[in-house]
Amino acid sequence: MAVPVSQMWTVASYVLKQRMAGRRRYPLVLMLEPLFRCNLACAGCGKIQYPAHVLKMHLSPEECFRAVEECGAPMVSIPGGEPLLHPEIRQIVEGLVARKKYIYLCTNALLLREKIDLFTPSKYLTFSVHVDGEKEHHDFSVCKEGGFDQAIEGVREAVRRGFRVTTNTTLFDGADPNSVRSFFDQMMELGVEGMMLSPGYSYDKAPDQQHFLGRARTRRLFRAILSNRKPEWRFNMSPLFLEFLMGKRHYTCTPWGMPTFNLFGWQKPCYLLQDGYADTFAELMEATEWEKYGTESGNPKCANCMVHSGYEASAVHDNFNSWRGFVDTAKATLFGRYADPEALEMLKEPVKPVHARAGLVQLQMAGASQGEKQEAEEVQA
Amino acid sequence: MSEAQRQAAAAPDPESLEVVPGFQHDFLQGRVWDAASEEELREGLEKAFDYRGDVTITRRDGTAVEGYIFDRRTGATLAESCVRIIPQGSAARVAIPYSEIAGIVFSGRDAAAGKSWEAWVKKYWEKKAAGETNIELKPENLD
Repeated sequence: MAVPVSQMWTVASYVLKQRMAGRRRYPLVLMLEPLFRCNLACAGCGKIQYPAHVLKMHLSPEECFRAVEECGAPMVSIPGGEPLLHPEIRQIVEGLVARKKYIYLCTNALLLREKIDLFTPSKYLTFSVHVDGEKEHHDFSVCKEGGFDQAIEGVREAVRRGFRVTTNTTLFDGADPNSVRSFFDQMMELGVEGMMLSPGYSYDKAPDQQHFLGRARTRRLFRAILSNRKPEWRFNMSPLFLEFLMGKRHYTCTPWGMPTFNLFGWQKPCYLLQDGYADTFAELMEATEWEKYGTESGNPKCANCMVHSGYEASAVHDNFNSWRGFVDTAKATLFGRYADPEALEMLKEPVKPVHARAGLVQLQMAGASQGEKQEAEEVQA
Repeated sequence: MSEAQRQAAAAPDPESLEVVPGFQHDFLQGRVWDAASEEELREGLEKAFDYRGDVTITRRDGTAVEGYIFDRRTGATLAESCVRIIPQGSAARVAIPYSEIAGIVFSGRDAAAGKSWEAWVKKYWEKKAAGETNIELKPENLD
């Protein structure tokens, strides 16, 4: 299964309309966070650190619909927190489907099997399941043994019932490109529509402050992972954005492309940074000092960011803003195997995280021979 | 050259960074902020906005509000600046001008403190050695 033509047409015609209207800044995907509460406690996440009385709050369906209408973006991503914990998630999804919005419901899938009867398969609804790599990597990343198995059970069930399903994967320092490539094989075998990838953003509130990738390392990692692609791999992302992650393109940040609405209002300036809140979408667009953000601004909080919420909209804009962008996208979609002998050599190099995620190394060693263990210890040292 | 420009010039080239250094935070939980001057008050409220726990704001009239500061809007004068707070036990959003604020206490638990990667790894291997299965970090109980 691939992205429906109707979705591609909706996005393309929307972007062209914005262009024809002369709008320099426009939203592409609304990031709608209906709650902050989560049923995981991942060390790399900076989204859920709030007092209990805030974690108990959630947006009503009506508040969600007002935000969606105010913003006007053709796609709505519902992250959180864990959206399946929202007591009215069915009503929110139904309301958005009725408004013909393409929804990506981002879930860790721990509750997906239990709650799947709340939903009806639709071209407008995609479950975007958070899986951070192969079993031991995912379990360690989400700080939960068995988390991978539960997520995969959810994926299988959703695929079996005919839902659109993608995976979303966040990579940190120490990610093993070979393992990530094997993980792609596994996910495609499960029958997911496509995969999404992102380097971890250095949330200043995340408990773990040591494993965020810098830009140089991000580019090398993604070049190793995404070059020499297998033809069966499908990505549910802009191909130009993937080229940006691989270091083949330069983009500047367009945070207004994926604005965020949550319990506090419209988040300035983006999904990842919290520099205040606007009460309306119009206020967000007009009152935010956009020039203060993005890597090119020199803002230290933006220094390492190569995340989709800042740069994927830039890639989509590039796609539609010139014939060159359009042709590059078509070429990347049709012929994008990215043969790269140097990247193949990179796959042979040992993984050398700056700050070793010791737990992962030890987990991998559990099934290794004594010689391999010794070698791994030397690498770690 | 502005302070922001100076900082940007002194920072390493982001394109060459291997790993981002991460952020250091003051441990503010329980601290009573000394806000005698306008500068101290503004600094304290900026830290209160950044704090992932509840804060108690005491107004000049003696009334106090304890809750989560989710926004601050800074203007040229204290009267033109305000914090926006969700009080405990309420869904309301209350705006308090800086000019009305007499005291700031970081009264709630810092939800972003601790729980490091190393703590998780240590806990994992301790539990593993003890023969436990289904090891995990659980979100805190909200009640």
